[in-house]
Amino acid sequence: MNQAEAILLGLRIWGSIGAVIAAMFLTIGMDRIDDDARDAYIFRPLLIPSILVIWPLVLWRWYLYESGHEHWARRYDPPRKAHFYVGWVLPVGICLIILTGLSQRQTWPAETAPVQLSEPTEISQ
Amino acid sequence: MKQNRGPFFVGYLPAPEALRGFLLAVCVLFVAGLAGFGLAIGVAQDDPGDGAFRFDYGRQTVTGVVELTPYPLLRVTEGNEHIPAGHTLILAGTGKTNVESRAIPLEGQLAQVSGVMLQRGALDMLQLRGGRNGISAAEGAVTPMETVSLGRWKLAGEICDGKCLAGAMRPGRGLAHKACANLCLLGKVPPVFVSSQPVEGSEFLLITGPDGTHLPEKAYHYVAQFVSLEGEVERRGDLLVLRLDPETLEVLQ
Repeated sequence: MNQAEAILLGLRIWGSIGAVIAAMFLTIGMDRIDDDARDAYIFRPLLIPSILVIWPLVLWRWYLYESGHEHWARRYDPPRKAHFYVGWVLPVGICLIILTGLSQRQTWPAETAPVQLSEPTEISQ
Repeated sequence: MKQNRGPFFVGYLPAPEALRGFLLAVCVLFVAGLAGFGLAIGVAQDDPGDGAFRFDYGRQTVTGVVELTPYPLLRVTEGNEHIPAGHTLILAGTGKTNVESRAIPLEGQLAQVSGVMLQRGALDMLQLRGGRNGISAAEGAVTPMETVSLGRWKLAGEICDGKCLAGAMRPGRGLAHKACANLCLLGKVPPVFVSSQPVEGSEFLLITGPDGTHLPEKAYHYVAQFVSLEGEVERRGDLLVLRLDPETLEVLQ
């Protein structure tokens, strides 16, 4: 398996799990955790693409509501506390990724000369 | 409740006196930093080369003998100002398409081709017009064309799709262009090998699979990387054709 096939397989697995979770959440979970969503169905298919991508977060939020651990005020604490660090990690990380990519580039083999391994075998017309 | 008497920034109000210097410094550093970062990335890129569509030449129409390697070539017998007789042209279709379906019936025959030229150094390609306007049988005696074997060679360089390399894209080679190159190769656009040093005077070689086949799919994974490979080289007019031995492909460190 080459790198492209591995990436594609990973995306397929991630998306397949997301599809199962989207089906369960939109048919069962949403009615259990959101009173306002009950008997409202037209908008639900619109959520499928995003659930395919962020299904771990959907599962986590679903668990918090189901288990009674959800406190709305706490939900805003972690992002606020993380702002300062994320604000630095993001630009520094982007720079590091670019610098790593540039440093890993191959060098054009300008010094490697063509080598004739065998003499011509035939002349055809 | 303890009151914080420090300066407080509100976007729609004038900036507090104590924060003005800081805000000005941040703005200047941010803009200068982005400009500098963009300049640094730009400088780090490889030169895309001088390849380009030669629309300035206008439509080119020449006559010659059609050959299949299996990628179609035209050995020019009646040229013009930009494409002299004796020159070997690589033929491609528009976009990421080939012209094999139109060239195969004319193999070994005299044909007139018409289209727009792509040029990068000594590498020339003609993007044909559609249908019979692009290639059609021509009347006249067929001149026998010689193919000269140059033996087996070990080369270092890069496998590219010939059309983008010749000037359809900028950059037309390198990792940033790999996906585009492979789409071209899937469309059987003629691939070209760029050698680290000239082979018998030529830096660009049309590259095919072994025994007259198209470039094998295995080679697609090596496109846009610097590789070493072995293969039989032959000269067709002023164009070299490399018959790749796919088992010898290696990525250079």
